[in-house]
Amino acid sequence: MSRGLRSLPPTVVWIAGIVALWLTDRYLAPEVNPYLMRILILSGINIVLAVSLNLINGHTGQFSLGHAGFMAVGGYSAAAFSVYAGPALGDSLATASFVLALLVGAGVAAVSGFLIGIPTLRLRGDYLAIATLGFGEIIRVLILNLDSLGGARGFTNIPSHTNLFWVYLAVAGCVAFHANLIASRHGRALLAIRDDETAAEAMGVPTTRYKVGSFVIGAAFAGLAGGLFGHYLMYLHTNSFTFMKSFEIVIMVVLGGMGSISGSIGAAITLTILPEALRGVREYRMVIYSLLLIVLMILRPQGIFGTRELPDLLRSWRRRSA
Amino acid sequence: MTGAALLSLEKVSIRFGGLKALADVDFALYPGELVGLIGPNGAGKTTVFNLVTGVYRPTSGRILFRSHPIAGRAPHAIAGLGISRTFQNVRLFPRMSVLDNVRVGFHREGRVGLFGSILRTPRFHDEETSLETRAYELLSIFSLDGFAGANATDLPYGHQRRLEIARALALSPSLLLLDEPAAGMNPHETEELMATIRRVRSRFDLTILLVEHDMRFVMGICERIVVLDHGAKIGEGAPAAVKADPKVIAAYLGEETTDAAS
Amino acid sequence: MQEFLQQIVNGVSWGGIYALIALGYTMVYGILRLINFAHGDVFMVGAYLGFYAVHWFGLGRASGSAGSFLALFAFAMIGCALLGVVIERSVYKPVRRHSRLNALITAIGVSLLLENGAILLFGPDPKFFPQVIESRPMRIVSGVVVTNHQLLVLIASCLLMVGLQAIIHRTKTGRAMRAVSFNRDAASLMGINVDRIIIFTFAIGSALAAAAAVLVGLTNPKIEPLMGLLPGLKAFVAAVLGGIGSIPGAMIGGLLMGIAETLVAGYVSSTLRDAIAFALLIVILLVKPTGLMGRAGDEKV
Repeated sequence: MSRGLRSLPPTVVWIAGIVALWLTDRYLAPEVNPYLMRILILSGINIVLAVSLNLINGHTGQFSLGHAGFMAVGGYSAAAFSVYAGPALGDSLATASFVLALLVGAGVAAVSGFLIGIPTLRLRGDYLAIATLGFGEIIRVLILNLDSLGGARGFTNIPSHTNLFWVYLAVAGCVAFHANLIASRHGRALLAIRDDETAAEAMGVPTTRYKVGSFVIGAAFAGLAGGLFGHYLMYLHTNSFTFMKSFEIVIMVVLGGMGSISGSIGAAITLTILPEALRGVREYRMVIYSLLLIVLMILRPQGIFGTRELPDLLRSWRRRSA
Repeated sequence: MTGAALLSLEKVSIRFGGLKALADVDFALYPGELVGLIGPNGAGKTTVFNLVTGVYRPTSGRILFRSHPIAGRAPHAIAGLGISRTFQNVRLFPRMSVLDNVRVGFHREGRVGLFGSILRTPRFHDEETSLETRAYELLSIFSLDGFAGANATDLPYGHQRRLEIARALALSPSLLLLDEPAAGMNPHETEELMATIRRVRSRFDLTILLVEHDMRFVMGICERIVVLDHGAKIGEGAPAAVKADPKVIAAYLGEETTDAAS
Repeated sequence: MQEFLQQIVNGVSWGGIYALIALGYTMVYGILRLINFAHGDVFMVGAYLGFYAVHWFGLGRASGSAGSFLALFAFAMIGCALLGVVIERSVYKPVRRHSRLNALITAIGVSLLLENGAILLFGPDPKFFPQVIESRPMRIVSGVVVTNHQLLVLIASCLLMVGLQAIIHRTKTGRAMRAVSFNRDAASLMGINVDRIIIFTFAIGSALAAAAAVLVGLTNPKIEPLMGLLPGLKAFVAAVLGGIGSIPGAMIGGLLMGIAETLVAGYVSSTLRDAIAFALLIVILLVKPTGLMGRAGDEKV
């Protein structure tokens, strides 16, 4: 069998992919049922959230329960840029304005990841979890009290820019970034910290720097997701960023398998579709969801993929059947 | 044994709460030496290791490496200065492969940054290839290269201990601290380990300080021995002299050792 | 000055409630290192049990005797104790052998289950505890008023905490509980039936939460399925504040939480009342994560 895609230089693959994505968005997307489109877009946003949280919780072994806070920071920063600075750029630069907004969102979220990471990453285990949970809530309450960001009524009039193209471009970039990061010296440092922080430090890994780094990167992508989210709904309210949202992302990561990027992707898609699929039994939906969660934790705590990635699994199956 | 000491502890003490774990410990290591650190359980041997590697900070006293004070510096910085170690209870990275365990030891040598790694520049590929090659070389010294892809914790215990030493060597240290390297090994494995340590010492130009309870091992391989008891140094010298030292004998008789057959 | 004292009185009253709930968190964490996210919802169930006790059995009605009152508490406390034990046996025990993150997520699952189960069973609309005791203010000093409700809360929570201390320090079971919280393996090697102690701990913690719920129901009559969230979170912060794992810590933490909250609501802004809990949490975690009375865990290198 041919080596196919892998023999082409990455740049070519990327350009081809982007063009294909753009064409899909331009010509196929309008034909798609809007309900399905909504699921596709929200799935994509959740994939970015899950993969970025996986970097912190799965690959680096830190216990972050405040990811929704970073999403909020990014979402609101991006929205604020679009609403307050966007008009100055005019309609012809609308796309550029959107990209800038997303970058601003990711950037501000990254800074918040740094500011929060430095003090909290001294803590271990449960204390770290509690601290991140607390920070997530504090961010939410702070935003809630800022009238310039909509306050209790929510932030409205965010321009609609998010579409299939941008979301899946972000997904591709996010997944590639994380996959390449993990399969590098820096990724190995993170995994070593996860496995045994003391030993990692003894082997020359500056653990604090890397832990904070994973926080910053994870926060940046969460912020990107937030920016996409805000420009999709055209409206933001802090109710979307409570600790429940943080838990939902954590559940995606655990369900997929902590440390497995493919797992996070699969779980994000599954858990975006599931609430919709259960719409028929609306009253029992949450009860079923929580029961499934409990059963899963008891029966298969390592999640679907464990720490393995889909390509590795496929390779070992192929070898076994050969 | 002339010239400046590579490592010296000067009146090093440390307290944990009300407990004084080490009291005014004084000794030095000279380049190229193979020194043993012995003493009954709880004497403070691993504490000495933890102080030298920066896990603990001494309450008083100085620790000098190449005449520079290192007490209280971060462990990863001390590792960068050329001090490497193994642990009493093997601390490998359990979910990483044998090869990756060693590659983590090369961390400080890597130069390619975040963006080079993400964008997969040619420099990145070159560095990865070079580090991988060197990792295999280290593994082959310990006859572990055949296990490179296996999970570290799937190895038999003796192999794991050897892997830990291989990983420590990836740091290209000048000083290697081995904490009970022969623990849990049968006599045959112990002999092999002694040969490996000697080989490694000359090949990599190392100074070695080791903690061990197996007296045959200690007497067989160490050129000099330092004895601790209840946090204080009670003896120092050539193996034969230390073995006959009444204070040392008394310290060990005060504790029931299972290693009496030596 | 009078206003300040009044706030203190109000704060101490709420502090008692938070302390009772915080005890459940801290005891379970002490023996299992598990943050029982479902604890706040056990509190909620306690409120509903109390509600139905009054409605169906007429327990605790003003016309009733002290005995009827005690029966009301007993009904809710025993009911929640059973609930706590059932949750532990069926869900937490199987997950104990897995990682702590899994246990945490399981606890979140149980919490969701209880909340949504309550919505299904009792309906999402709030119910109102019948006012079995009329609120009567009593003047202590001029300008400072304490209601009989607050007095009830204070006395009841004090009695319960004293009772708990007695159990912990004067009984064999209490000694076993302390042993298990220090070192589970050593305790079991000493012949302590660790499983039974765990069950006992969950039972007591849940019972205390139920007592708190009945007290809250008697004094703040509105109950609804999500009522456990906020008090649960605040009580949890109180437990961390006092040192999670430390029983006297939970009591002190609860008290401080109640007072701090009331003072902030009174003097700064009532909308920041809920945020105070999180601010306190961050401060304590950054300054002294083991809390006011907590002990640090050591890692052997």
